[in-house]
Amino acid sequence: MSEPSKVSGARSTQSQSAIANYFKHHSEVAKTTFRTQIDKPFSSFFTCSVIGIALVLPCLLMLILADLQSVSDDWEDSTQITLFLKKHVSSQNASALAVEINKKNSIHTSAFIDKDIALATFKEKFDFAEAVDSLDENPLPHVILVQPVNTLTKIEHIEQLKVSFLKHDEVDSALLDVKWVKRLNSITEVLSKSFWLLASMLSLSVILVLGNTIRLAIESKKEEIIVMKLVGGTNAFVRRPFLYMGVFLGLGGSILAWILLHLIVYLLNQPIQELSSSYQSDFYLSGPDFESTIFLLILGLSLGWLGAWLAVRKHLDDMEPN
Amino acid sequence: MINFESVSKQYADGHEALSDVSFSLDRGEMAFLTGHSGAGKSTLLKLIMLMERASQGRISVGEQDLSTIIKRQIPYFRRHIGVVFQNHRLLYDRSVFDNVALPLHISGMNHRDIGRRVRAALDKVGLLSKEKLTPIQISGGEQQRVGIARAVVNKPPLLLADEPTGNLDPDLSEEIMKLFTEFSQVGVTVLIASHDLALIHHMHYRVIELNKGRIVEASFDGERDV
Repeated sequence: MSEPSKVSGARSTQSQSAIANYFKHHSEVAKTTFRTQIDKPFSSFFTCSVIGIALVLPCLLMLILADLQSVSDDWEDSTQITLFLKKHVSSQNASALAVEINKKNSIHTSAFIDKDIALATFKEKFDFAEAVDSLDENPLPHVILVQPVNTLTKIEHIEQLKVSFLKHDEVDSALLDVKWVKRLNSITEVLSKSFWLLASMLSLSVILVLGNTIRLAIESKKEEIIVMKLVGGTNAFVRRPFLYMGVFLGLGGSILAWILLHLIVYLLNQPIQELSSSYQSDFYLSGPDFESTIFLLILGLSLGWLGAWLAVRKHLDDMEPN
Repeated sequence: MINFESVSKQYADGHEALSDVSFSLDRGEMAFLTGHSGAGKSTLLKLIMLMERASQGRISVGEQDLSTIIKRQIPYFRRHIGVVFQNHRLLYDRSVFDNVALPLHISGMNHRDIGRRVRAALDKVGLLSKEKLTPIQISGGEQQRVGIARAVVNKPPLLLADEPTGNLDPDLSEEIMKLFTEFSQVGVTVLIASHDLALIHHMHYRVIELNKGRIVEASFDGERDV
């Protein structure tokens, strides 16, 4: 313990030492409580595991969501509208239309694909030479590929753009291939809703499990609590070790959840990558990064504190000697 | 130090534990509270410690009207009262030293002072050599002395004892009573609830006798028989 400063007045030295004593007391309670938990490793580990497993599910869902979101953003970036032109439209008119479309602010690029070139490519690439040769005329229409600007990310806006192209006389039909983006978005939506539901239910269960553990601890220390109150212990003093217990168990739970998350991501990534590569995607799960680790630790700590606080409020404050 | 003015205590079930009790105790005075079990001795002590509230009348302790003390202030009020219990109420999971140090920890005293005060209190009750033992490792009489050390370690102006010699043989009881006498001689007000009449009469201190919740006699000598 440091010597009180000799320069400052007696009163401030006194209040300084009172504050110092307060923090010293806190650190002692924390240490003692931590040691008590370590001394019964099995039951502490059991409680931490329950909390850890409850925390893992919503956290895993959160990781998947974050990864899916970035995939869906990528896909939306590459959204493309295909304009099929009417049969009678000439190459020059089609090309002019492509240039005209390109001038619009909402358009990034537009490319004209001549139907003859398209047929030639088709013939070459897919080995349909004979079949194509047997045709009387080119069945393909002229096509303009339109790529909207990046800032246009909302699907509804792109749909509106697509409809606006149909006003051109030359355009027969327009195709916007957003089915997958839409699907992915609704999957993300479902997952995000389930995340919040799951997260709140499991947080509640963490609070209840911890509250019950703390309640049992309070019951087993009833005599000690009463003696403390008899010799002048305030409610704050008496509840302190139990609050620390809740915080430590919550923190232990989140550390376990963090380890479990890494394990699950490691085990799942191979099958996930196989699956996504079959959809021409390089999607994979990234483990918890620094931010989500901090979030997880704070979450466990606060849930632990909250559970302990509720138990203490309900069972300890009204425990009076008689 | 303690002043009761027409105090009554009625419990929720209608049982009247104390009726119209008036007495006062001066600073440094030592007195015995006697009566059959159920006469209201414990209730009277509980009222002083604010474990119970009076239904009627006025109690003051050290010039402070107890009815003005709200629930939050009770712990701070109790730090000025030392209490010795019949069953010691020691904590068996910690050493004699830590048991005695408890009130000082609660009042936020620093470590150096705690060590000094605890050893002084243990020395006073003659248990300095046993500070590292747990209460289970010492005898019943020694446990009671640890309870006394814990009650006085805060240097409270008022010391209450509820049947402090209830489980002890006469020699040990006398030893304990001698300790209480010594505290009163240094200015501590001491009130001891006891039904050990032989011992009380032998001690020649003031006796407050309760019967069915009323004070039947308050005498200064021990010559009277019940």
